[in-house]
Amino acid sequence: MGPVELLHMSVFSQSFSPCGRFLAAGNNYGEIAVFSLSAALSPDASEASQKPILNFTAHDGPVFSLLSTDTHLLSAGNGEISAWSWAELIKKSTKAAWTRKPSYETSLEIPEINAMIINPKDNSLIVGGGDNNIHIMDMETGIFKSVLKGHTDYIHCLCFKEREEEILSGGEDGAVRIWDARTNRPVHCIEVFKYEECARPQFGKWISCLATDSDWMLCGGGPSLSLWHLRSMSPTSVFPLPGCQREAVFYQDLIMSVGEGPHVSHCLHGGTVKAQIPCTPSSLNTLALNLKNSEHRVMTVGGSSHQIDVFTNFSYRAFSLSF
Amino acid sequence: MSSDAVKKRKPKVIRSEAGAPETKRGRAEGDQDVRVYNEEVELEVRDPQQDYMLYKDTCAALAKLMEEIQELKAGGAKVQSVEIEERRTQCSVHFITLKKLNRLAHMRLKKGRDQTHEAKQRVDVLHLQLQNLLYEVMHLQKEIGKCLEFRSQHEEIELVSEEEFFQEAPAEISRPHVTRDDQHQLTLARLDWELEQRKRLAEQYKMSLARKEKIQKAIEQKREYLSSLQPGLQNIMQASLPVQEYLAIPFEHMQKQAEVARHLPPPLYVLLVQAGAYGQACDKNLSVSISGDVDEAKALSRPPEDSQDDESDSDAEEEQQNTKRRRATLGVQLDDKRKEMLRRHPLSLCVDLKCKDGSVLHLFFYYLMNLNILTVKTKVSTTTDLSGAVSAGELLNSESLLNCLYASDHGKETPNPANRYQFDKVGITTFGDYVSDLGHPFVWVQKLGGLQFSSGGAQSGLTGSALSASHMERTMKLLRGRLQARLALHKQFSSLEHSIIPVSSECQHLFPAKVVSGLVRWTTMSCQEFTELGFVQHVLKAGLVHETDLFFMATVERGTARLRAAVVMNPRYPEVAPLFSLSLHWKGERSGRTDDNLQAMESEVNVFRSELQGPRPGLQLLTNQIQRLCVCLDVYLETESQVCDGSEGPKEFPREKMCLRTARGPSRLKPFKYNHPQGFFSHR
Repeated sequence: MGPVELLHMSVFSQSFSPCGRFLAAGNNYGEIAVFSLSAALSPDASEASQKPILNFTAHDGPVFSLLSTDTHLLSAGNGEISAWSWAELIKKSTKAAWTRKPSYETSLEIPEINAMIINPKDNSLIVGGGDNNIHIMDMETGIFKSVLKGHTDYIHCLCFKEREEEILSGGEDGAVRIWDARTNRPVHCIEVFKYEECARPQFGKWISCLATDSDWMLCGGGPSLSLWHLRSMSPTSVFPLPGCQREAVFYQDLIMSVGEGPHVSHCLHGGTVKAQIPCTPSSLNTLALNLKNSEHRVMTVGGSSHQIDVFTNFSYRAFSLSF
Repeated sequence: MSSDAVKKRKPKVIRSEAGAPETKRGRAEGDQDVRVYNEEVELEVRDPQQDYMLYKDTCAALAKLMEEIQELKAGGAKVQSVEIEERRTQCSVHFITLKKLNRLAHMRLKKGRDQTHEAKQRVDVLHLQLQNLLYEVMHLQKEIGKCLEFRSQHEEIELVSEEEFFQEAPAEISRPHVTRDDQHQLTLARLDWELEQRKRLAEQYKMSLARKEKIQKAIEQKREYLSSLQPGLQNIMQASLPVQEYLAIPFEHMQKQAEVARHLPPPLYVLLVQAGAYGQACDKNLSVSISGDVDEAKALSRPPEDSQDDESDSDAEEEQQNTKRRRATLGVQLDDKRKEMLRRHPLSLCVDLKCKDGSVLHLFFYYLMNLNILTVKTKVSTTTDLSGAVSAGELLNSESLLNCLYASDHGKETPNPANRYQFDKVGITTFGDYVSDLGHPFVWVQKLGGLQFSSGGAQSGLTGSALSASHMERTMKLLRGRLQARLALHKQFSSLEHSIIPVSSECQHLFPAKVVSGLVRWTTMSCQEFTELGFVQHVLKAGLVHETDLFFMATVERGTARLRAAVVMNPRYPEVAPLFSLSLHWKGERSGRTDDNLQAMESEVNVFRSELQGPRPGLQLLTNQIQRLCVCLDVYLETESQVCDGSEGPKEFPREKMCLRTARGPSRLKPFKYNHPQGFFSHR
């Protein structure tokens, strides 16, 4: 990676290790870098501890999604999913445990995989990507058992509601679809851009971020970031953020979201934007919170830069890890 | 009393006789049968203790008698009384006894003394004997010591070891049956053998000396013969001159050059030799020649005594004018010192590199004597006229043509660290001020001249010719490459200024047939102007911009959209690709920082530059990059989704490019990658 390549790098995905001491990040060149959080957060950290302990090329295309199970790191490349054992990664071994490809219909262009989530109830992996469909894979056998069709354009984001066992998916076609995970049938379809309070026609209609918290749902993208009450299927608050949001999470009583613009937005449920914390990348793609480990409780954000900002206190940027 | 008389009559001691002491006392004179009274014999018999008692008794009796006499006398008895007389005779007898006893005591004493004396004599004799013996012992011991210490000369001779000796020596010398047992014989035998060997070797030595003399004489003869050939050869050479000219072998010319080359300073000489060798061996289009004043060079190397004579004459003349002449001011003095320090050697080398299209790169190498560095000046001569490209003004500028031939070798400072101290003495702050006069002191120039300064990076441990030879090929190739690149750019720039992007036939496959966006402007910028642009700050922060770089601005337009591209070109183009930063003005201002798609377009030309290199040596990189920008702008504008902003009517840019998908991934990037020959666009 020369200086020119570093200049044009974008970080698309992040995932913390099960123990919470390591962070894996994927970029647009198909590389995955593993950083040691304990080294970077220790009092005698130096420049070298902000560099990855391991950096390898995992896929041909960009790594748009990373997900950690209890033992493995799953990464999504161009139409393929690879699993890497965390224990092996920490020992700097870069051999994939397995690689699976969902079955695609078209053969001209290999569709990307944009989002992956795990259904803990029946231990299955749910992926959504460029072929407009959601594929469900059984983690034990590795067989793709079902395909959920319904979106008319590619899928940006996925989300899982544990209590009702429902899958939510947001796509480029502007629709948020809710599926029943047990029967694999569509339950609802919300076209956000049709709601006046959320819609922003000057941007477009795509939905690029989804998050749920019991009965509440956050969604945003072309339309403004909005908080929905799922029982009544209506937006309760709309957040006046200028750019298009790419990832949003619920954290305690705050909502944190990142997207276009070099800042992390802290919002309250009522619809006010409490704070906008500046960051180094000029636009952000991913936000991750390390809640598994109380010692290293940090928030990391990555975007169109080779640097990943680390927040120990969520109100300001502490330092940056760099590829 | 009469004891002396008795002593005179004492006869010899008769030892053999036991001796009856009571022999008749009488006057026997010379009669052997007469018995003599021998008191000495008597001495041996009597006991001294008894004699002592007798003495005491006698004394007591005498004392008693005296007392009685006294009493009697006191009693009034007559002196002649019988008792007194009796007592008087008794006293006399006692007196005689006393005398005898006295005599005996004396005799005992004498005897004792004699015995002692005798014993002493004996002891003395023995003592003397002892002394003699001791003295002799000591003497013998010394002798023994001396004998033991004796070092015979034979031990200083190094002899061969015993095994060798037994192996080598012939039997009559080694005589093993004798010498194995007898050490002395062995040593003798060894010495014999040694002697023989030495004699033999001495013989050999004499013979070798004689041989050497003979050979020496033979050599002398041959030498004389050779030196006699010299004048003959000269004649032949002279006669061959017209033949040379006829056959066009510049033998004489090379000789003359070699003659002049003798006066070159060492670095220039190394450069001449190495460049000439390289030219002969690898590169027929390289030629080296020497220019400059040979006489001056000769004058430099002349010893100072000669010039002193001249000076003394001129001094005499000058003294007359001394009063009129004013002393030069301090400033002028310093100036003179500076000039002296920066003085060039009168001879310089000219290396010409010819290219296939007829253009020539002239390199003039100078040697600064006091600073011990080489500098170079350049000149480019082309067959065609190179005017017409305004933006290309800097390309072939002789000041900057050779900038950064090797990375970060900008030639503004002298590479010799010792010069710093010299400069301080004459007040020169930087060498950069004099570079335009004296030429650039690039590090590769020093290496070509075999000069290595310790301030460099990795040391190769080579000096002189080896250093020059190791760098020659690479440097010449780089020089040629640089000239060709610059000439190619020159041509390209004149085309770009006319808004035509020259794409050669080999590179047509990189782009679709129809490209609507077009280049409208191509200008050059200064470093200052570049750093003031808003959308290039990320490049500046990443440290990818240097003062030696060239800066340009390209403007591509289509309809109402105007794309500005700021280009940073490293002097080592095309080894180092130019870096593009984009800013789009269409329904608002966007740049690569604010718009992910513009960043993707920057990636297309900056990161995937290896696809755009074209045929070797990759001189079409820049024009291909610009063409790709135009193609990407087409895609960008045509795939912009129809937004419902209330404006009805047809899209400004109808979709003409074939794309499978217009958005992909979380950042919804457009398809900028062109696939040949299918002709559609896809995502990376």
